[in-house]
Amino acid sequence: MHIPDGYLAPAVSLALALPTVPVWAVATQKVKKVLNNRTVPLLAIFSAFSFTIMMFNVPVPGGTTAHAVGGTLVAVVLGPWAACIAVSTALIIQALFFGDGGVLAIFANCLNMAIILPFVGYGTYRLLAAGSPVLSTRRAVAAGIGAYVGITVAAFTVGVELGIEPIFFSQNGHALYSPYGLSEAIPAMVAAHAFGASIVEGLITGLGVAYLQRRHPEYLTSLKGIFAPDAAAEGTPVQRPLWQLVAAAVAAAVVALAAIGLIEGGGNPNRMFGADLSQVDWPSVATMLVVTALIGAILIPATYLLLPRNVKRIATTFVTIAVIAPLGLIAPGIAYGEGGTENVKAAFGYVPSGLQSLSGIFSAPFGGYNVPLPFFSDANAPLWHAAIGYEIAGIIGILAVGGVTYTVARLLRRSAGHAPTAAEAGS
Amino acid sequence: MTAVLAGRPAPNGRIGWLEQTVGGITANIEHAIFTERHARSDGWLQRRDPRAKLVGFLTAILAASLASSVVGLALLYAATLAAARASRVPFGFFVKRVWLGIPFFAGIVVVPAIFFVPGDRVFDLALGPAHLAPSWNGLAGAVLFVSRVGVSVSLAVLMVVTTPWADVLKSLRALRTPQVFVLVLSMTYRYIFLFLHTANGMLLARKSRVVGRTSGGEQRRWITGTMGNLMSRAFKMSNDVYAAMLARGFTGEVRVYSTYRMRAADWLALGATGAFGVAAVLASRVVA
Repeated sequence: MHIPDGYLAPAVSLALALPTVPVWAVATQKVKKVLNNRTVPLLAIFSAFSFTIMMFNVPVPGGTTAHAVGGTLVAVVLGPWAACIAVSTALIIQALFFGDGGVLAIFANCLNMAIILPFVGYGTYRLLAAGSPVLSTRRAVAAGIGAYVGITVAAFTVGVELGIEPIFFSQNGHALYSPYGLSEAIPAMVAAHAFGASIVEGLITGLGVAYLQRRHPEYLTSLKGIFAPDAAAEGTPVQRPLWQLVAAAVAAAVVALAAIGLIEGGGNPNRMFGADLSQVDWPSVATMLVVTALIGAILIPATYLLLPRNVKRIATTFVTIAVIAPLGLIAPGIAYGEGGTENVKAAFGYVPSGLQSLSGIFSAPFGGYNVPLPFFSDANAPLWHAAIGYEIAGIIGILAVGGVTYTVARLLRRSAGHAPTAAEAGS
Repeated sequence: MTAVLAGRPAPNGRIGWLEQTVGGITANIEHAIFTERHARSDGWLQRRDPRAKLVGFLTAILAASLASSVVGLALLYAATLAAARASRVPFGFFVKRVWLGIPFFAGIVVVPAIFFVPGDRVFDLALGPAHLAPSWNGLAGAVLFVSRVGVSVSLAVLMVVTTPWADVLKSLRALRTPQVFVLVLSMTYRYIFLFLHTANGMLLARKSRVVGRTSGGEQRRWITGTMGNLMSRAFKMSNDVYAAMLARGFTGEVRVYSTYRMRAADWLALGATGAFGVAAVLASRVVA
């Protein structure tokens, strides 16, 4: 998420000082008033702490790792104003000393990661945890969700900052700075975080707060008393079984999806997500579900048992996704997984000419993500034929992408050793 | 991509994420020591007054951001290379460090745009119904973008490797940065290394005690436990540091004395940088 120099026009970089510098001034005053002379050592050491935890690789389910920012964790303990200064300091040191993030872009990076991230994260946390005792599970979960929301909103603002460049700064038809408009930059940043880095951030913050509740509850009470006088009562820790949390999350996801679908379908349950469910041939859907379940029952355990340990988990995850993917075929009227140019046009009102010329490339061998044999893709073929075709195409696609990625990764490792971190955009 | 690279287990070990973290932390410490070494050698940039240097580099980065054609950027990069040469920064290290990373991160970002931008096509390769047709306009934009990021990063790297950290901070003071900020920055910098060493020690201690594989959940619990523990140490340490500061007569006022003196050569270098920056921006306007 660190924006390097050259991505933003100088006018934008410097204009972002307008919101950032006053917040710094207010934050310095607020923190000074509360802590008097203790401000300096406490903030300095917490900045060093947040710098250090940005180095930590966290194992993520699926076998990969990612790193966290920790802004919300610091905000939960010290309050958002102090977190703003602590994270800003860490960011300035990264830019000036480790070349991570641009020098002119310091204001932009601090606005995103040191102001928006901790304040949104802390606000969400306060909202969700309101009234709950300090040691309750709700507080840890609220901190995790707050961190997730905070970093995702920060990613959104990065998308906005990058997306406005081509609107204002182009010359002879080509962009001078970051070339993508709002409609490309925002979804790219938000999606990349919402399904990756934000999850890690939420996980780390939630588990970190849970650890503090168990081992050092004084940091959540006495310290909060110094920074935020309206600290909550201590209470007792409540252990909630994991299945309850998972069940609640699944239920919330189903409700949220249904709500979004209904809004998109204009309130008519037969037109969920803009699809036309009244046209669905339910018996053939049932056949397809049975076939899909059968394929899943064979393929998923086979993947898990046959593959070598180190790729086992991630491969099983992807195969599972590929197996359940054809469920999207149930819904007619939307081009599920086929995001063709007409969808882009409907969504954005225009089609970039290059996208139009590119869009055919990948569908050439497996048009519409199906196998180009009459058995699978004939217009009158039963739905389960198409489902099998979908699955074959999906698995071939996963193998191809995995193979290419693996080869590129191997080559890069060999040629570059460890690549420099100078311009690690979006890290 | 990072996640894919990171997901690869260590070749001989069992716990790759641990080794990556230890490796990352160690690389950071080494990098810092390494850069300070260049900052201490006797070269042209190292002899300049840090305030002149900071302002000069900011001007140059601003010029790189304003330059609207590759010509201006090429001029700036040539000057950067000459300055690096005169300052005894190893050439291979300097060029490689920047250009190995830039095409990768900035390049990947910009490649699809080559095909989106409308304009005359370089070639038009028909692949079935699709056309693979990069436009001249898109290509020019991509080259400009990548070289701008490259030059900006080169300038920042050159400033970092030729200036000791203490000097950067003192020159920030000259730019009217509030004293509290400068003090926090300098203390943070000192404690970063203490924390990195502490974290490294904790990770190595775990590594030397763990045999075989542990579950992901266990690893995450351990990592968050380590973070919580570090946080608690941070808090205790800040109390100790404050007590030590009080014992030495700290009253909340910070006084820093600076013995810097701008010499004629510094003014000359600053003026030359400014003039060159303006010239590069103007040149890029004229040529473009």
